[in-house]
Amino acid sequence: MNPAGIPLKEPSVSAAAGDTEQLERALIDASTRVPVLIFYTSAMAWLILGTLLAGFVSFKLHTPDLLSDISFLTWGRVRPAHMNVMVYGWASMAGIGTAIWLMARLCRTVLRYPLLLVAGAVFWNLGVLLGLGGILLGDSTGYQWLEFPSYAAIILFVAYTLVASWAVLMFRFRRGEQIYISQWYLLGAFLWFPWLYAAGQLMLFVVPVQGVLQAAVGWWYANNLLFLWFGAIGLGTAYYMIPKVIGRPVYSYHLASIGFWSYALFSSWTGMQRLVDGPFPAWMVTASIAATILTLIPVATVGLNHHMTMQGYFPLMRYSPTLRFTVFGAMSYTVFSLVGVVISLRSVAGYVNFTEANIAYSHLGLYAFFTMVIFGSMYYIVPRLIGREWRYGSLIKLHFWASAYGIGLMTLMLLAGGFLQGASMENPSLAFTESVESVLPYLRGRSLAGILLTVSHFIFAYHFGLMLFGLGRKSTVPTFLNPVEAEGAEAHI
Amino acid sequence: MKGLAPLFLGIFGTFAFSWVGLTVIPNWQIGHLNPQSDEEGTDIYPMPQSGMVQWGARVYAANGCVYCHSEQVRADYAGADIERKWGDRRSAPRDYIFERPVFLGKMRMGQDLANIGARAPAEQESPSPSGGGNPGGSPTGPAQSPSPPTAQPKAQGAQSPGASAAPQQQPATSPATSPATSPTSPASKPATIAGAGTGIASPSPAAAAVVSSPGAPPLAGPPWPEQTAGLPPMYSAAWHHVHLYSPRSINFDSNMPSYRFLYQACRISDVRSSDALQLTGSDAPPEGWEIIPTYDAKCLVAYMMALNQSHPLKEVKSAGAAPAASPAASPSAAPGGQPPPK
Repeated sequence: MNPAGIPLKEPSVSAAAGDTEQLERALIDASTRVPVLIFYTSAMAWLILGTLLAGFVSFKLHTPDLLSDISFLTWGRVRPAHMNVMVYGWASMAGIGTAIWLMARLCRTVLRYPLLLVAGAVFWNLGVLLGLGGILLGDSTGYQWLEFPSYAAIILFVAYTLVASWAVLMFRFRRGEQIYISQWYLLGAFLWFPWLYAAGQLMLFVVPVQGVLQAAVGWWYANNLLFLWFGAIGLGTAYYMIPKVIGRPVYSYHLASIGFWSYALFSSWTGMQRLVDGPFPAWMVTASIAATILTLIPVATVGLNHHMTMQGYFPLMRYSPTLRFTVFGAMSYTVFSLVGVVISLRSVAGYVNFTEANIAYSHLGLYAFFTMVIFGSMYYIVPRLIGREWRYGSLIKLHFWASAYGIGLMTLMLLAGGFLQGASMENPSLAFTESVESVLPYLRGRSLAGILLTVSHFIFAYHFGLMLFGLGRKSTVPTFLNPVEAEGAEAHI
Repeated sequence: MKGLAPLFLGIFGTFAFSWVGLTVIPNWQIGHLNPQSDEEGTDIYPMPQSGMVQWGARVYAANGCVYCHSEQVRADYAGADIERKWGDRRSAPRDYIFERPVFLGKMRMGQDLANIGARAPAEQESPSPSGGGNPGGSPTGPAQSPSPPTAQPKAQGAQSPGASAAPQQQPATSPATSPATSPTSPASKPATIAGAGTGIASPSPAAAAVVSSPGAPPLAGPPWPEQTAGLPPMYSAAWHHVHLYSPRSINFDSNMPSYRFLYQACRISDVRSSDALQLTGSDAPPEGWEIIPTYDAKCLVAYMMALNQSHPLKEVKSAGAAPAASPAASPSAAPGGQPPPK
């Protein structure tokens, strides 16, 4: 099927395993079509909205008088609106879309109870919409990442419960004894998230803890959301996509197991390092710093595993959109974790504690790692749901480079600006305003990066829209980034 | 890996481990603190918040102030907070026991606000550091009788003929007028909260009277507030209102957005309202008009004026010197803006 003979897609299909397996896969893919596309389409809408809000936030930070007279467009409301739309609207919904498809594929059974998922998606959208409205109208709770007012939070929780119970039910119908690595992460994510959300809501709003502990619970929630929800889905997806696209099993199952359990154990203990030097018992912060350093174990094992799997196949990134996005994301996971370790060390944290460097950190995790992996998975999954291939290789390439340069530039700007800001903030002979002024040029640079990201998202949304309306290419060969035949791909392998 | 049970147990176990370790144990350790008091049971700190302050915290949350302002002072070895005069001791868990939500903050695009109320000119605001958090809320308790007349003609500063000419009149010192203004804005709810709040906070004047002498000295000669040309004294309530309305009229380099939607323009019907903002230059309203704060703005400023961690805590060493020595130290250090002598 593949003219160049390289296993860019479904290597086993052409092999002896043959037609029944291929047919089975097609049936499974077809059964996931409606729920996955609902989640993806909603996520794309939130992505575009969140991007527009992000641009607004970024420009307002260095142009404070921009539309500041309108209460619902004030910076302090648009910023949490952007954050929550991206976290709960885009990232969570797109992640669930991918996770549903992976679950069905890995359980090797057609999707059961699709109505649970459709209801979940409806409630989810409703919750995000209500929450967004609540924040803009001045109903924010004031806890980072949990700003949605309680009426939205309850609806969201119903949605989480529906999706999580679907995942557990689905698991019971799985065929085969072996549980693949991706499923560990996905099952973990599906179970951790509702528990986490319930614990956060309970301890902050239902039976609120006293004083500073609210901040501790808030950061515990936010960090675990980043690791146990987004991180777990992202890593699970990468563990599926990389071996799948290059047609080679994961390098070491044993390493993967160490990676998963150390990840679950250590990354869930991080979070308090963000409270460094605050009014807390020192052991809390120290425990989280230690846990952050220990996350180097899962980082090393996961990174090594992916690297050894890819060994010799890196040139394929030249052709496969999925592989390029996923490998970029997987590498960003390492960078994200290393930056996390560095800025959690007490000596460094003193400088970056109250600066833009924190924003760089969360964007590294949520965008450079998670979102890029999810983009990659969407490039793989959507054609299989719709039966058409992506229309333009050039648009995919543009999307990749705009995203990669955009997030790279943003991270550099915010990290460099954050360190400078921190350095002048810690120097009491400088007026406080100088610390703000020192970061302003970098914030303008960040706005530039934001423009790149906006371009990339609009390109992707347009391309996704074409696919949705059945305007993709009718072909049996997937869309490559560069023509395979012309360049003699085999030479690269 | 085979079988669902070990996987499920592992997933549950790691989560429960983290939940117990990072939230339950800390809650057991510092989750049930009481206010401190001296042997006689007086000098209580911190005090519960008044209703206006609580509503102000809601306004603070709603408008995302926390994304740029922290409310925590780090110890002198950990940062320059104390040298920057953001407080004279580090913050401790006990400082926050009545705060909900608690706005420790994670970003300093703006100053730290943990002690912004303590930095107000002493003779005008924060009569007690233990404050109970109302700039004049409880002190005006006795003065409440003259206020109802003020209440009905909303924009009229009827209570004093000199009101129009008296910029010293602090908008926030008239929370008594607030129940009156409230019908325009969030109506009955804040008013009832305010009522309940003052009830709770009522012991504070008594406590304050006893306390003010030991508590006040560190701030007595207000070291930080300086007269900004043509504007109210720094960090007074009136200053906050002007700063919220037009930040760049006070600090040209500020990148704080203005919060004009918390203020309303009113035609001056008879006399200028005592609440009216003292605006100059291009911000000044046209002739015959005035800018007055909404109830939300008044509560927000009341909240900020109540942020005050200057009361000593037994578990925290005040920076530089013992509390007894600090009154001498801080005024001398202040005028030059030098760090306090070690």
